[in-house]
Amino acid sequence: MRKTTVQSLLLAGSSLFAFSVAATGAAGVGQDQTTPVQGLHHHNPSLVAFTNATLVTEPGTQIENATLVIENGKIRSIERNNRAPAGARVVDATGYTIYPGFIDPFSNYGVEQPARSTNRGRSAPPVYSNQREGGNAANAAIHAQRDWYETFKPDASAAKSYLQQGFTTVQSARLDGIFRGRATTVSLADTLPNTAIYQAQTRHFGSFDKGSSPQQYPSSLMGSIALVRQTLADVAWYQEAAGKVASNGQVEFNAALAALQNLQSTGMIFHASNEQNLLRAQQLFQEFSVPVTFVGSGYEYVRLDDVKATGAKLILPMTFPAAPALDEQFAELDVSLAHLRHWERAPGNPAALAQANIDFAFTLNGVDKPQEFWTNVRTAVTHGLSKDRALAALTTTAAEIAGVADQSGKIASGFRADLVVSRGDLFSDGEIVSVWTQGQEHSFKPMHPVDFKGTWTLTGFVPNAEMQEFTVKVNGNSRLQVELSHGEQSVRASRVAQDDDQLRFTVNLEAFGGQGVYRFALRHLALGRLGGSVQTADNQVMTVTAERTEEANSAARENGETAAKPEYVSQLTFPNIAFGQAALPQQQNLHIRNATVWTADDQGVLENTDIIVRNGLIHRIGQNLSTPRGYDVIDATGLHITPGIIDEHSHIAIAQGVNEGTEAITAEVRIGDVVNPDDIHIYRSLAGGTTIAHLLHGSANPIGGQGQAIKLRWGANAEGLKFKETPPTIKMALGENVKQSNWGEHYTVRYPQTRMGVAKIIQDGFQQAREYAEQHRAYERLSRAEKRRTAPPRRDYRMETLLQILESERHTHVHSYVASEVLALMDVVEQQGFRIHTFTHILEGYKVAKEIAEHGARASSFADWWAFKIEAFDAIPQNACLMMEQGVHTSINSDSNDLQRRLNTEAAKSVRYCGMSENDALKMITLHPAEQLEIAEYVGSITVGKHADLVFWNHHPLSAYAQVQQTWIEGRKYFDRERDQQLRAELAAERTALIQKVLGAGEEAQRGHRNGYREQQPTWHCEDHYDVWNDWYHEEHAHGHSHGHQHGFGGAH
Amino acid sequence: MKLKSFLFSLGLVAFASQAHNVVPGAPQAGPILLQGGTVHTVTQGRLENADLLFVDGKIVAVGQNLELPAGTTVIDVSGQQVYPGLIALDTTLGIIEIPAIRATVDTNEVGNFTPEVMAHHAFNSDSEIIPTIRYNGVTHAQVVPQGPLVRGQSSLMKLDSWNWRDAIEVSPNGMHVTWPRVGLNNSPWERRSPEQQRQAQQEQREQLKTLFETAKVYHQARESGAQQRVDQRWEAMRSLFKGEQKLFVHADDRRQIEQVLAFNEAYGFELVIVGGRDSWMIADQLAAADIPVIFGAAYGLPARVDEAYDTAFSTPKVLAAAGVDFAIAYPGFWDVRNLAFAAGNAVAYGLDYDQAVAAVTYGPAKILGVEDRLGSLEAGKQATLIVSKGDVLDHLGQDIQYMFIDGRLVDLSNRHWQLYQKYQERINAE
Repeated sequence: MRKTTVQSLLLAGSSLFAFSVAATGAAGVGQDQTTPVQGLHHHNPSLVAFTNATLVTEPGTQIENATLVIENGKIRSIERNNRAPAGARVVDATGYTIYPGFIDPFSNYGVEQPARSTNRGRSAPPVYSNQREGGNAANAAIHAQRDWYETFKPDASAAKSYLQQGFTTVQSARLDGIFRGRATTVSLADTLPNTAIYQAQTRHFGSFDKGSSPQQYPSSLMGSIALVRQTLADVAWYQEAAGKVASNGQVEFNAALAALQNLQSTGMIFHASNEQNLLRAQQLFQEFSVPVTFVGSGYEYVRLDDVKATGAKLILPMTFPAAPALDEQFAELDVSLAHLRHWERAPGNPAALAQANIDFAFTLNGVDKPQEFWTNVRTAVTHGLSKDRALAALTTTAAEIAGVADQSGKIASGFRADLVVSRGDLFSDGEIVSVWTQGQEHSFKPMHPVDFKGTWTLTGFVPNAEMQEFTVKVNGNSRLQVELSHGEQSVRASRVAQDDDQLRFTVNLEAFGGQGVYRFALRHLALGRLGGSVQTADNQVMTVTAERTEEANSAARENGETAAKPEYVSQLTFPNIAFGQAALPQQQNLHIRNATVWTADDQGVLENTDIIVRNGLIHRIGQNLSTPRGYDVIDATGLHITPGIIDEHSHIAIAQGVNEGTEAITAEVRIGDVVNPDDIHIYRSLAGGTTIAHLLHGSANPIGGQGQAIKLRWGANAEGLKFKETPPTIKMALGENVKQSNWGEHYTVRYPQTRMGVAKIIQDGFQQAREYAEQHRAYERLSRAEKRRTAPPRRDYRMETLLQILESERHTHVHSYVASEVLALMDVVEQQGFRIHTFTHILEGYKVAKEIAEHGARASSFADWWAFKIEAFDAIPQNACLMMEQGVHTSINSDSNDLQRRLNTEAAKSVRYCGMSENDALKMITLHPAEQLEIAEYVGSITVGKHADLVFWNHHPLSAYAQVQQTWIEGRKYFDRERDQQLRAELAAERTALIQKVLGAGEEAQRGHRNGYREQQPTWHCEDHYDVWNDWYHEEHAHGHSHGHQHGFGGAH
Repeated sequence: MKLKSFLFSLGLVAFASQAHNVVPGAPQAGPILLQGGTVHTVTQGRLENADLLFVDGKIVAVGQNLELPAGTTVIDVSGQQVYPGLIALDTTLGIIEIPAIRATVDTNEVGNFTPEVMAHHAFNSDSEIIPTIRYNGVTHAQVVPQGPLVRGQSSLMKLDSWNWRDAIEVSPNGMHVTWPRVGLNNSPWERRSPEQQRQAQQEQREQLKTLFETAKVYHQARESGAQQRVDQRWEAMRSLFKGEQKLFVHADDRRQIEQVLAFNEAYGFELVIVGGRDSWMIADQLAAADIPVIFGAAYGLPARVDEAYDTAFSTPKVLAAAGVDFAIAYPGFWDVRNLAFAAGNAVAYGLDYDQAVAAVTYGPAKILGVEDRLGSLEAGKQATLIVSKGDVLDHLGQDIQYMFIDGRLVDLSNRHWQLYQKYQERINAE
């Protein structure tokens, strides 16, 4: 960047470009009003008029041949008469386009950078609490009390990469933590902060990433969501309670809660690392009527309708992924179709959003190389984004988001003199020559460049009288080449030099009848016109002129402009990965004929039986039924049909952490908040006959998170997957995992560390919940006057959840292994007045089956797992038989995305090991798990009135040889083996086409963001309790303009 | 219970309350005839209503109307299925008991070059796990050291013994190498960049090649007398150069397997690919090169999101169709008991039934070079066999009634059966 100062101007007086009245620091035009002046008072003239300009005053409005007048850092007027006011410095903007200065509403400019996380996973002792100071929040990821204008300082070097892209204004905060504090919108001018600040307090920034917080909680996405929910509830409580006395004393001062009081009016800028998190955050903030603008990920197009439905504005990092590396043979084995598709379509994301009428701004945040920003904007334009929408993304929409729409984002009288001056159309091939902040110029390129390249017709001198003119061709880049020609003849000049605005060369013109070597000196006179002189071989000096006849690079430029809108070879499916659905399956009314029907109810197995399915329900079961009109007939001769398999214990389709395994009781976290509809295991499980999965929190703490039953409606979004009729559930856990037996030497401080303590902390939790309810009731009993004086009890989601359990509104699914802990828990909860609903795993259930039956609990077990740890050493594959024999309704669960595909043969193991009847074995994966989820009135058997969730098998369904042919959910076919075989071929062809496209794009394909893809979520296990923010840390913090940290911690910069 | 009563009749029974008190079978005392079963000879087809006679631990005859030596015990197995004992490859049986308890784990020696270690040295005959594996028809297991590069030597063990010495069927029976990973790990746990990963993989491959070159030089130096000092590690590697052991390379990814094949061109070791997850992609190539595969993921999830859900299920079918010599394995320890079911699952996805039986009997025997005595039911072979009430590959059929190893009747009781019995007593008492 060339920043012209007053001093440099004096030295470069002859320069044809960049006459600018810039200033540094307090000496400039934008000087503040309160600083005492040291030395002489400066009064630099500030009136500037851009004449003959093309003004794009706002998106869609363009004024030709206008004069723009600015003064004192603001826009004074737009004149149509093309006359500059007297006394103005005139900038001839003929051929130039002037845009309003661009605004980046998501920045960390001028504020402190996040600290590096000190969380070191298992290799250091855990930190469970926050350092308290100044009335801050109890969680170290909450910085809501920070007001980022307070420490804002202009930073010329950081401003540089923004200015070069045309940005003049940013909305800025430290990008660290969940509630990040209140942002400030500032100018990028190099001036006093007092002058740079346009809007001191704008919106609160936030994310789900706890950032540099060393505190354990939250370690998962659902934990972060729960923390946000509790915080927002606390804000409402604090508003009412602050200054009053609560039942347990004076209400505390809490700076973070105080700072969030106006959140419903200020709103949040929320960084969502993908479109799923965007939708999750939207739901969450909507609960509290907090308006949110999202920082997007570039993946919004894959769930466009859902994103549209949020009604939110977006901020898009203007970065697209580099193509996956495919140059080595079979490198594609590491590359998924989802990545290939995203590589192809990511540049179309802004266009897709625009088409859906979603407003968005662009940000430089997350762009690895700032100089690629404009390349990417133009790529987005070639993918169908209109130039007006692109401009709005940089100006008006961004100004609204940044809270400065009344002063920035348009060229209008009274607005800030923040301008972008461009040669040509910036959205196709234009280039920024200068950016003005508060009326000060930052010049990057000469406004009237001296470009000698091209073909010129030289007149005024001829070496012999027969000639009228010469043709002079100039080409080359850093080293120019000059050729003189006439007719067929030509001669190369030598000693070609260009300095300042003068082109010099020597040429021997004997070939043209001249007398020797001639010396030329030409300078730029006007656009397309050169003038100068030649010193002839006989020492005369003659005046010459040259007119441009042809643009040197016009051919290349035309090609650039005619780039056609790319055609996509990729499909777009739900989810947008291999085997995704083009559309959700239609509900069909069916007449299924002549099947062997395994009802899983008292009817047992019915041979040669028909099923009528109507409106998604089982309407009739019988033999030789007639086909109702308009029904689709399926001949199921030779096939077996069972109810859809139900898995009581699953961890598929969960995003960013299965355990909030940090604190001993985290009843407030919800798997339902983090359902992941993009998990390929949904499809794979359908292919194994499973239709319902109960997604459970892991087993890292005694009272974990709330469960979520889903129907495997492959292609639906997270909400669409939820089986909403299911009553609320929660995971509890006992034994080795919760007492952290296998967590390494550092994890020995959390209560409980023994089974004794496990029993007691559970008892304590429920006791507290009981007292919590009493506090609320006591408050409700107060008179109106007393209520005015008394702080209401705080809403505590953790306690509320425990209370639901106490009141048997929420059913417990208890991870348990050994007899002692099972008996202890039953004792504890019986004292609290409720019953355990279902023990899960319950490997020693056979030892205390009688007691479990008396307690009234059910059991869900592994078929044959054992020996992996000491508490599993007495597990036996006859467990289910012994429990069933003693009246405990037992199911077989998977706890595994592999076993979830073949629960039929898992159930068959009870036939193998202890002779269970086949009917009972089938019930263990259908009716019994339905009972355990209290959904047996809808599903779990083939019974008239229940959902038509059906699986077609080619063989006895419990046999090793059984293969699923079709899987239906409520009369919709979600899996069909024949269709699957077709899909394989289609997907292979699509992959091949995309691989070829990447390879064909050569080096060009390698440009872009290296870390721009998201992977499938890993396979979660019960005991996985690592900190997702630790590992995902780089995603959130690979922002701005730093490089080379894709896989390391990002906090170092 | 039939098994117990038969044990009584042979005077072999020892009522055990602990699995490690399950007494190993005594040497075969007199001739035994299994009468009227369906005999899956594996090599000679399936014989219905056939008799099988064995004497002194060896099969004497299979067929009908056999001539019986004096004192033959006749066991009626009519309606039942007779198979060779199942052979489990690539296991850690006997060298790990409870993974979460470090003291019970003897699978990995220190370092990435430990060719000298031999799995049988740590083999615990009294493992509580082993009897539960026998219960499902497995008579032999290849026990394999684990590790990142050159792991050490495996042994083929009988799963009924007083100690590891009498458990040994073949020892050692192979040198095991873990081929360096190829391709990219995209999981959130992986913090290295793609470039760093590739670099690390390249270094590992270089290291492996250097190790083999050094081993070769050492071998030649020892042969020629130039090397006097003995190095346990290089000495162990000599077995490969002398042709005494096969080289078992654990490799799953297509690119790994291709690298292994190219690597071995220079050495010409008798090579076995273990794992072989992507072997379906290059089945023809493997068949042409005559390289056997121990397929270790019969129930595997697809390795890649884009792969068909049944990729692993149908891999055995693809290998068989291409003519690859293969076996189905169930790598692990407690879960090895699912071996037969894994073979059954391959049938569900297209593998011929008899080929599936062979994949857990004769196939493994051949890969281990013991097909002259194990893996099929023919005169002259070991009397190592099982009798199941029904189809051994199907959960609904498998019910092992008898197991013989070397003609010794094996007690099928185990920890699980005993706990099952014990807690039935609780029900009975009330």
